[in-house]
Amino acid sequence: MDTKKLTCLGLLTCLALIIFIVELRIPDIVPIPGVKLGLANIVTVYCVYNYRSAETAMMLYSRILLGALFSGNLMALWYSIAGGTLCFIGMEILKNIIREDNMWFLSIAGAVFHNIGQIAVAVLVLKSTSVIAYLPFLMISGCIAGLFTGLCAQMVSKRLKRARKVS
Amino acid sequence: MKTRTVCIIITLLVLCTAAVWCLSVMRPKSGKTAVISQNGKVLYRIDLSSEKDRTIEVTYEGRKNTIELQGGRIHMKCADCPDHICVDTGWLEDGKPIVCLPNRLVIEYENGDIDGTAR
Repeated sequence: MDTKKLTCLGLLTCLALIIFIVELRIPDIVPIPGVKLGLANIVTVYCVYNYRSAETAMMLYSRILLGALFSGNLMALWYSIAGGTLCFIGMEILKNIIREDNMWFLSIAGAVFHNIGQIAVAVLVLKSTSVIAYLPFLMISGCIAGLFTGLCAQMVSKRLKRARKVS
Repeated sequence: MKTRTVCIIITLLVLCTAAVWCLSVMRPKSGKTAVISQNGKVLYRIDLSSEKDRTIEVTYEGRKNTIELQGGRIHMKCADCPDHICVDTGWLEDGKPIVCLPNRLVIEYENGDIDGTAR
């Protein structure tokens, strides 16, 4: 890995962290645990297409760890790690099938995988399967949020490519 | 078929499944026995129709949850947790349990298993 790539990844991690922290300030819309926009996913989706999987993983996990430290919510760390890992694996597999012009779908799939991971941890923590009743609600919110972040990532990707061509 | 069409179809399928699942979870429950459990263990089994109004306090690692019973209904009155999602959930009405993740507390109707609500 050369210095330029390292710098870019650091910058992306920083960007994802800022988005993550800003998003924490947005109040919860519905009283369902785990429903959120997941704007930091924009950066992850962008990375999945533009960097190798190991590099994306580094970016993702440093964002999750630092995000949990900054927000002071270490309880949420396990949910983030489980959701993030599942989301990452799903997206890395799917990106071989789905090309860049359908980035929004990758993001939706990632969001739904993220929700499944979250619920799995919740089941383990509570030692009760009753929380699975929340999964469909999370899936719907995941689809909407995933579509939004996916479209954002698609736009960012397109613009960055154009910018790179000019410079 | 174009990839885009397939993607849209899959997304819509997932959304529809989730919507149907949601509706079946949200169907009002006929059972009137509420179960309060913590960390996988059942603490209370309450027959809501015959119970008189009272509050129940449950502690977990020094943090307190206050559950209120009123007129045959049950809800989380207050909780010592950072997010207060359990309080915001309101009264227990359907297959959607009241969950306090930090304090590992679940309030649900009996037979509130997935099989009972999803099918």
